[in-house]
Amino acid sequence: MSEKPKVAWYWCASCGGCEESFVDLAERLLKVFEAVDIVFCPVAMDFKREDVEKLPDGSITVALINGGIRLKEHEEMVKLLRKKSKIVIAYGACSAWGGIPGLANLYNLDEALERKYLEVPTIENPKEVLPTKKIIVNIPEAKMKAELELPEPLPVLLPLDKVIDVDYYIPGCPPTPDVFWNALQALLSGNLPPKGAIVGASNRSLCDECSLNETKPEKVLVKEFKRPDKAKPEPNKCLLAQGFLCMGPVTRGGCTALCIKGNMPCTGCFGLLDGIVDYGGKAISYFGSILDYSPVEDKEIKKAFDSIPDWVGTIYKYSLASAKLSHKAGAKKPKRIKEVVEI
Amino acid sequence: MTEEPRIGVYVCHCGFNIAGTVDVKKVAEFAKTLPNVVVAKDYVFMCSEPGQDLIKADIKAHNLNRVVVSACSPSLHEITFRTAVSEAGLNKYLLEMANIREHCSWVHHDKEKATEKAKEIVRMAVAKARHLEPLQELEVKAETSALVLGGGVAGMRAALELANYGFNVYLVEKAPTIGGKAALIGYVDPKTKGAEIVSKMFDRVKDCPRIQVLTNAELIQLSGFAGNYIAKVRLNPRYVNEKCTLCGECEEVCPIEVSNEYNFGLNKRKAIFLPFSNAYPPYYAIDYRVCVKCGECEKVCRFGAISLKEEPKVVDLKVGSIIIATGYDPYRPFKGEYGYGLHQNIMTLFQLERLLDPDSPTKGELIVGNKIPKSIAFIQCVGSRNTTPGAKEYCSRMCCTTAINSAVKIKEKYPDMNVYILYKDIMTYGSDETLYEEAGKKLVQFIKFEEKIPKVSITPEGLFIDVFEYTIQENLRIPVDAIVLSIGMLPPRDIEELIAVTRVSCGGEGFVREAHLKLAPVEAPTKGIFLAGCITGPKNILESIRMGSAAAAKAMSLLSKGKLTIEPMIAQVNEEKCSGCAICVGVCPYSAISIKKVNGDRIAYVEKALCMGCGTCNAACPSGAMQHLGFKDIQLLAQTRAVFGGEMNV
Ligand SMILES: Cc1cc2nc3c(=O)[nH]c(=O)nc-3n(C[C@H](O)[C@H](O)[C@H](O)COP(=O)(O)OP(=O)(O)OC[C@H]3O[C@@H](n4cnc5c(N)ncnc54)[C@H](O)[C@@H]3O)c2cc1C
Ligand code: SF4
Ligand code: SF4
Ligand code: SF4
Ligand code: SF4
Repeated sequence: MSEKPKVAWYWCASCGGCEESFVDLAERLLKVFEAVDIVFCPVAMDFKREDVEKLPDGSITVALINGGIRLKEHEEMVKLLRKKSKIVIAYGACSAWGGIPGLANLYNLDEALERKYLEVPTIENPKEVLPTKKIIVNIPEAKMKAELELPEPLPVLLPLDKVIDVDYYIPGCPPTPDVFWNALQALLSGNLPPKGAIVGASNRSLCDECSLNETKPEKVLVKEFKRPDKAKPEPNKCLLAQGFLCMGPVTRGGCTALCIKGNMPCTGCFGLLDGIVDYGGKAISYFGSILDYSPVEDKEIKKAFDSIPDWVGTIYKYSLASAKLSHKAGAKKPKRIKEVVEI
Repeated sequence: MTEEPRIGVYVCHCGFNIAGTVDVKKVAEFAKTLPNVVVAKDYVFMCSEPGQDLIKADIKAHNLNRVVVSACSPSLHEITFRTAVSEAGLNKYLLEMANIREHCSWVHHDKEKATEKAKEIVRMAVAKARHLEPLQELEVKAETSALVLGGGVAGMRAALELANYGFNVYLVEKAPTIGGKAALIGYVDPKTKGAEIVSKMFDRVKDCPRIQVLTNAELIQLSGFAGNYIAKVRLNPRYVNEKCTLCGECEEVCPIEVSNEYNFGLNKRKAIFLPFSNAYPPYYAIDYRVCVKCGECEKVCRFGAISLKEEPKVVDLKVGSIIIATGYDPYRPFKGEYGYGLHQNIMTLFQLERLLDPDSPTKGELIVGNKIPKSIAFIQCVGSRNTTPGAKEYCSRMCCTTAINSAVKIKEKYPDMNVYILYKDIMTYGSDETLYEEAGKKLVQFIKFEEKIPKVSITPEGLFIDVFEYTIQENLRIPVDAIVLSIGMLPPRDIEELIAVTRVSCGGEGFVREAHLKLAPVEAPTKGIFLAGCITGPKNILESIRMGSAAAAKAMSLLSKGKLTIEPMIAQVNEEKCSGCAICVGVCPYSAISIKKVNGDRIAYVEKALCMGCGTCNAACPSGAMQHLGFKDIQLLAQTRAVFGGEMNV
């Protein structure tokens, strides 16, 4: 019996959407199971780290890794998987560019932890308990102490390729089942694209596959930016031409313009195109290019820009961690995290 | 190019210009350490014959496929070195200049630091050179005819020049006659009438079959590009044809009377009128804007010269080049500015010029308010040099000479009249200075004011001017019979339309801007469009005429071959990557980009002859599909990485 390719799937800082997209393959999943052996997949099967360690180096054909690298544990696991795998694929926006969790890089770790565990409106934490490296739990009834160890967080969230060598990327937040399927086909065909390629998606920006592109006026010029929570888009008219900040022009296609079909502007989850160095940088020069101000009135332009409350979150929604300016300076070791706490 | 780059670096001393501040030997040694550099040399004058030969010999000996010349600004010698490398068989776009003179040696003193900076500049140039690609110039067919817009002295001169050298010209004039303002200036110097100058030019234009004069005509749309423009011109009806004998009977019966702009409002004219006695073309015209079509003139004309049925027409003219010579507008003083509009004896310099013209309502006599004044005062810089709130900052250059010239003329004719000239500074530049002397001899009285401008009072006793005389530091009160406001020049009122149609741009003063005053004079930034006369700013007739000749010469060098070479350093679309998002279309200042369908996909298309290589679309394209050849992202990124000391291999 000829050996089937061995596939590993690991999750780092992820929301679960990527795993969901795997399940969304639906009946096509059966074909996947026919074609490959899954050797490691903590989301669905009970494998342990030791199981991977035992495998010979280079014995995994493809390792799919989703989520950003936030914890020491992620770092160790992906390094291990790199050693054991022929091909490593960054799966989804978080793994490829840091994703939404990467926006935490706007703060240093202390600020981020305080926000997360003390300040957000949905949290109730009167004792102000923060994560601790080691917790010693006294259990008087059993006259014993139990020790719990949590993996240490890294000072900033990193995209996968800042930690290990990455062969391919599958874009999306999460990748659509079709994109995943296309990528699998390409990889299993043995006809491998050049290293570093983004697989499964389009080589053109989203406008190419958006049906509203035909409705664009000859020149796209906008005077103000609208937001879908404040104004209702007209149907069947390019959202950008209506003034909605659509990231379509600057974002890789491949999703078949799903959001646009739902009357929501593209937020850019398929990321940058080949040859672009920095997604947000390109996005800003694109917005600058369509602002309709001549002669330039400082105040008016400021008004237009102020209409978007969170610029970083808009232009780097999925890629701050991989941007040229990727994090707040001084993201040092957190002071608030205690070494040991006994409760 | 797939072959490995083999780069030669040539560091120029430029005598002491560079070598005095930069250790050129060290720079050459450093260059040798850079990736792909196979030879690096320094030489005293790279641009000299032996310097160029050095490069040519090395290209052959070392099989170089890229050359970096580290010397002066590319605007100075890039062409020299491009020619040199192409003579050695290399594509001329495989040359990169590293400017270590203007950007380094000339602006620094510290030799050590300047040398370090020169090394960095060379490092950047080498980083870019590694990514250079050979480019090919393109050729397109070009029309050999030209369109001259505006029939003043500048436009007429340009048209005559072109026609003399065998090119066909359309002279498109908005008014019913050509001639412009010069035709209305009584005397341009004490002996020459403005009308005479334009008459001589009219004769030549008339005798020249290659010039087609289109009056009452407006350029309403301009499409295409250098060599292949299509100018849409609207011909407004004149209603009077060449059968007109200038008998003037029509004028008698016309019931419509309006202010006569050709006499600057000194008198009235009818709806059917002759702008001035020697107007060209030499027939009456009906002002289509005011005519009520009563038909009286048509009835009275014995020669069948009038037809009120004429309709406006639109014609498409195919031309290779455009010369814009639409002149200026005289400054319009506001009501009450030095009493203007409040007293009939207060007039503008242009109105005075009309009065002094033998073709005027007073037949050249200086009659104001029914009599010849005993005294007259000119107030200078009206509308210029920040004198009043509406005034411009610049000097209009003509008003001093014209005022003094008129003063001399008045003194010749009426020796007993008291003539005053109230001035800020006298700007009779060049040979006009003799006029100033002449005026002094004729006892024209010059009164200097500074920041505090003269005050005109209209009283029952007559007109008075209060002025603080700056040289004698005294307040004077001068009673005068007439006042002349020496008005300056403004950009034409309809300049916005001109800009919209021709895509030229304006400088700070509101006149049309030349591409570069010293390096590209007379040229508009758009290829194939040239500028002449006062449309670029105040000038006298002589200067306007000269500029007309210069513009014609430039147009001819473009038209003469019947084809055009297109610079290859322009924008190029990668059709595999372009999504047709159209972001680039809106940013192109030259409207060179449109969206076309290619195999059903929307794809950006760059009209090569229109692209001026500004690079804006490259920066705007969100996909990286639009690349500026010679300045591709990959080339600029390599350069940027090099300057930050980054890895040279990208
Ligand atoms: C008060 C005053 C006195 C002057 N006196 C002298 C003097 O004594 N000596 C001297 O050398 N210079 C004098 N000048 C300067 C002189 O008038 C100019 O140098 C000269 O007229 C400039 O010629 P031009 O062809 O550039 O423009 P213009 O004479 O303004 O001619 C422009 C022509 O273009 C036409 N035109 C305008 N717009 C359009 C359009 N959109 N489409 C088609 N046609 C259009 C106009 O109808 C006009 O016929 C004086 C200027 C002023 C203000
Ligand atoms: S809606 Fe967005 S994706 Fe669609 S054409 Fe307009 S800009 Fe492009
Ligand atoms: S030419 Fe004389 S009058 Fe005219 S703006 Fe210049 S200084 Fe004033
Ligand atoms: S480089 Fe681009 S923006 Fe500039 S002229 Fe050419 S096409 Fe237009
Ligand atoms: S901006 Fe770029 S992707 Fe968009 S239409 Fe222009 S060339 Fe194509």
